[in-house]
Amino acid sequence: MRKYVPVAILIFVVYIVFSGSLSPYDIVIGSLIAIAGSILASKYLIKDESKALSIRRFFNLVSYAFYYLTVAEFKAHWTVIRIILSKDMPVKPAIVRVPYKASNSYTIVASANSITNTPGTVVVDIEPQRSLYYVHWIYAVGLDPETTYKEILEPFERRLSKVFE
Amino acid sequence: MRRSYIVLISLISVIFVLAYLTTYMGILGPISSDTRYLAKLFLALTYNPDTSTSLRYLTAMSPEAVTAIVWDYRGIDTFYETTVFFMAIVSALTIYRGITNIESKTQGSGLSIIVRVVTKLLIPMNIAIAVSIAVHGHLTPGGGFQAGAALAVISVLLAVVFSGYSFGKLGMGISKAVALRSMGLLGIATVTLLPLIYGIVAGVQTYLMQNYMKVDSPFTFPIYAWGQLISGTLIWLNLAEFLAVSFGFFVIFMLLSLREETVKKYLGVGDGH
Repeated sequence: MRKYVPVAILIFVVYIVFSGSLSPYDIVIGSLIAIAGSILASKYLIKDESKALSIRRFFNLVSYAFYYLTVAEFKAHWTVIRIILSKDMPVKPAIVRVPYKASNSYTIVASANSITNTPGTVVVDIEPQRSLYYVHWIYAVGLDPETTYKEILEPFERRLSKVFE
Repeated sequence: MRRSYIVLISLISVIFVLAYLTTYMGILGPISSDTRYLAKLFLALTYNPDTSTSLRYLTAMSPEAVTAIVWDYRGIDTFYETTVFFMAIVSALTIYRGITNIESKTQGSGLSIIVRVVTKLLIPMNIAIAVSIAVHGHLTPGGGFQAGAALAVISVLLAVVFSGYSFGKLGMGISKAVALRSMGLLGIATVTLLPLIYGIVAGVQTYLMQNYMKVDSPFTFPIYAWGQLISGTLIWLNLAEFLAVSFGFFVIFMLLSLREETVKKYLGVGDGH
């Protein structure tokens, strides 16, 4: 029973936000479609419902979103702005291997999208068998796995592990 | 290099000439600052809860003028449009005759885990949005066909991101999709014929696809349900069309995602390897 709650909440919230209305009609239809959609989709999305319903993990997610949208984005933008504005264009582009430690697919995907969404780094491929991202880096300070992990992935994966792992 | 400059310059000059002609020479004719009479008529009539004048016989009881026109004022036309779409799917099924379910002997690996996880999360959201478009068809722009097209995106996502065989794994065979689509069509037929059945039973004059009362016919579909405007036939026709269109597209995309070898083997043509 609890297994169906997270997906039902997701569908209900999307339905209400998209409809832009809180009338009884929308609450009734939104609830019905949330129940039906959750029964159909939960087994593909939820493995451990106690994680999905954990308040602590939810607050970790909110604090990650705050960290990501302010600190991480500011740092990455600042680096790229400095490169653009300097007259000799100090770039050192490379596609580097970044090893990841996470095992949960949501952590892997959220980390990869966080890397891609910050300017200066793009995940171009992933090799799940060897737990590797291939990241295009605008200024590669090092090519060894320890450096790339620490510079590119560590701040994201450490925080996201508290949400999904 | 020289050629591309000539292309660029001629494109820019065509844009400038067109902009000049339409803005300063007025070659498109004067632009009316007033709403056209026909538009005013529709805006006044599509939703008209005022029952004191005889204009009430012309209303569709829906604030969404497009849905009112599509499913009420020219409802029979839309019915035939749906029939054309239905015939197209029947033709596709005839060409692919005999294929009722897609076997999943081999499983394609699909795209990377990043795309797969994001798509998995998008599919329930897609369902929510498609249903919202369908059930608000009589209130806001959208409706059954648009909602059905939005839901059918799921089948394309499944075939491209996961595998053409994922339909079978999800228990969504072609025969099931055809059954759901036929249910939608039956729904449209039921709403179309209900006024007629009511007319025969109650002994009053009614019309096919009748939504709201006419001068010579008192029959009216329920306009409100527990205080919520449902606009008579419009909500039911939108829901039925949603079912018919979405699963019609599902059938087509499932058939198109089949491998040529599989199809030829089923049909017994070519060597099919």
